[in-house]
Amino acid sequence: MSTDNAIAERAPAHRRLANLLIEYNFIAIFVVVVVIAAALSDNFLTFVNIANLFQQAAVVGVVAIGMTFVILTGNIDLSVGSLTALCGMVVAVLMAAGWDPALAVVATALVGLLCGAAMGATSAYGQVPSFIVTLAGLVSFRGITYLLTDGVPVSGLPPSFAAISSSVIPILPGLGLTSMALIFICLCIAGGLVLRFTVFGEYVYATGGNPEAARLSGLPTRLMITAVFAISGVTAAIAGILLTSRLRIGQPTAAQGLELDAIAAVVLGGTSLFGGRGSLLGTFFAVMLLQVLRNVFNLLGLGSFYQMTVTGFIIVAAVLLNRFIEMRRGRG
Amino acid sequence: MADDVLVVENVSKRFPMNIVALEQASLTVRRGEIHCLLGANGAGKSTLLKMVAGALKPSGGRISLEGRALDLHSPADAARAGISMIYQELDLVPQLTVEQNLFLGHAPGKAGVIDRRVRSERAREALQRIGARFSPRARVEQLSVANQQLTAIARSLTMNAKIIIMDEPSAALNETELEAVFEVIRDLVRQGVSILYVSHRLAELREIGDRVTVLRGGRTIATYDVADTPDTALVEAVIGKARTLVERKACPPVAGEVALSVSQMRGADGLMVENFAVRWGEVTGLTGLNGSGRTTFLRSLFGDLRFEGAVEVGGRPYRPTHPAHAIRRGLGLVPESRKTHGLVLDAPIYKNATLASLGGRFAMRHRRERERVRPVLDRLSTRYADLEQAVIQLSGGNQQKVVLAKWVVNGAKILLLDEPSRGLDVGAKADLYALVEKLAADGAAVIVASSELDELYAACDSIWVFHEGRILDRYDPSVIDREAILKATILGDQHVH
Repeated sequence: MSTDNAIAERAPAHRRLANLLIEYNFIAIFVVVVVIAAALSDNFLTFVNIANLFQQAAVVGVVAIGMTFVILTGNIDLSVGSLTALCGMVVAVLMAAGWDPALAVVATALVGLLCGAAMGATSAYGQVPSFIVTLAGLVSFRGITYLLTDGVPVSGLPPSFAAISSSVIPILPGLGLTSMALIFICLCIAGGLVLRFTVFGEYVYATGGNPEAARLSGLPTRLMITAVFAISGVTAAIAGILLTSRLRIGQPTAAQGLELDAIAAVVLGGTSLFGGRGSLLGTFFAVMLLQVLRNVFNLLGLGSFYQMTVTGFIIVAAVLLNRFIEMRRGRG
Repeated sequence: MADDVLVVENVSKRFPMNIVALEQASLTVRRGEIHCLLGANGAGKSTLLKMVAGALKPSGGRISLEGRALDLHSPADAARAGISMIYQELDLVPQLTVEQNLFLGHAPGKAGVIDRRVRSERAREALQRIGARFSPRARVEQLSVANQQLTAIARSLTMNAKIIIMDEPSAALNETELEAVFEVIRDLVRQGVSILYVSHRLAELREIGDRVTVLRGGRTIATYDVADTPDTALVEAVIGKARTLVERKACPPVAGEVALSVSQMRGADGLMVENFAVRWGEVTGLTGLNGSGRTTFLRSLFGDLRFEGAVEVGGRPYRPTHPAHAIRRGLGLVPESRKTHGLVLDAPIYKNATLASLGGRFAMRHRRERERVRPVLDRLSTRYADLEQAVIQLSGGNQQKVVLAKWVVNGAKILLLDEPSRGLDVGAKADLYALVEKLAADGAAVIVASSELDELYAACDSIWVFHEGRILDRYDPSVIDREAILKATILGDQHVH
């Protein structure tokens, strides 16, 4: 068979290109939407607007990174909105109590990590569906958020803390991205590298693709599930810190429904809710696609009611497209 | 002919992108006949069955039932016409009762309200016709696989089926259960129902088939009278060229050191094993009826089930509590179901093959992993186009080789194979056992569990018979004949030799 294999090792170039295009269809869709946006509004392709896009996408984007890890294992994390709000409040409360901002940030990240790991461990070792565990998290974390200050926002944060989100860093002449946008992009790259080039990433896909086969291959599947929820907890904490830094107050009502935006982005990016298939690249483009849509509506002067309506349709259309592609490939 | 129930004439099926699954297939099933369909994996059996059952539309040809041409658009159409299909994975709803399952989709009643009394009565009748001894109120999930099989047959009867198609009913049954199902089939045939029976196993066709049609490469080769046709002719028709049936060849006794020994093991489901041992270079078989403890034993050895007792691997005590421990000590398990337990189906071939041997490393270097896998897959003569290919696209035999490769790549020296040949055709099976022999010749200790005694008899240096969770005895197939071992698997302790 070895000679057969050597010949058939690589499919013809045009076939591979077509496969790539199908595999990464979300990029094509993204480009189409950007072209339409640029045609509709002269203001769209300006450096100021592009910088804004990244800035606005950062919070949901960071949360969607952790969510991608969770969904790749075939689980779901509904608690991220509440956890983001909780961590945003924790960091504010700590600084109001006189903590150094750097220390407060590290402590908050740790809180996120522990909350996530606790939920993951409960789900994995207690064999409770993550949907239930994180639904409980969604309710309880929001409750704790209110309890921290009796529902009162925390203000008067140190100016150095605001710098975390809004320092402008020049990328190209004329294009400067805020630190918040850069943090989002860097986390995406880091996460993507972990998924593609580490054994940990390999285990994430295997655990989601077939938990039984993974376990019988000696993989620590329950530890893996705990770990991805810990990652999701950390990204929610980072999102909370960025949010509080940008708003300059700790707002306990912040980030309501953020979990749904994040899940929508992950699914739109082609990650299967059953686990084992998907990528952070897809999530990144989906986050930006949703942001561009919002931006287009704003530029056209259409209100958020239109945005919400259309966004729903686009998610369904994208998922149907992916389904169709898979059926053509004979996986359906 | 008036006696022909189902006539399939020159039916063909093409899928998009010019894949021809079936070309010019023809067969005729007579009234009250058990007609067998025989063919290797990929010969087009499933495609043909699906078209007869209305799940696929033929691209050409004619299917007629009792002289009337059929134009089926759905399985419901076929059921209405009197064609009933029983799939290998029975399409029953496990949480519902037998009665509910029997009439699912055609419950008696008016305006959507089910007449439970009539349903009960008819369910009882249908179960009586097949001589079932379980209650119509039992929940299907609580029945044995054989009784579920009977439920599926009874369901066909409630739909007034003229012909019942059975797709490899024997795959999940042991020999006594199978005999019970056969009894029912024979009885139905006497009542005028026709059966189209699909199987890989020649012995089964011999036992119940009247005539057999052989499919190969999408074409029907010929229809034979079962009684007048020798095995070799059938095998030749299936494989396409003369190939000998697996026969026991003389092999020297294994002289290696003991690789794994169990002086005593007490485990789940009443497992109780004493004085089991396998040597390096030995292929040993575990046989016994389904549920006799073969699988439990292998899973216990692999750290997947807890056990008490004394086990040694390579002369040192061995007490695994997790598959990872077993893997570290050089064990590898090829599980009973490769699709649900053995493979990540959507993942590429090379990732499946390296999954067990990535532990303790940080970086995933894809190129190096591919290079590591390639020679192993070649050695196992695996057919694939591209290592990046999803493993789901491979045939069953090649999928099994990928599972095996996973352990060879990891350097496992003690291989536990649980029903490795399930669902493989004759050629792929012979291939697999040739591989097993090769691995053993390279020094591995191989334990093969199978319900197919013939395979073990041909391939193993020794055979252990399990009965109700215990090992009865160790047999040496070079000195004891197959019938004696078979008797022991069925009779258990009553059998004295």
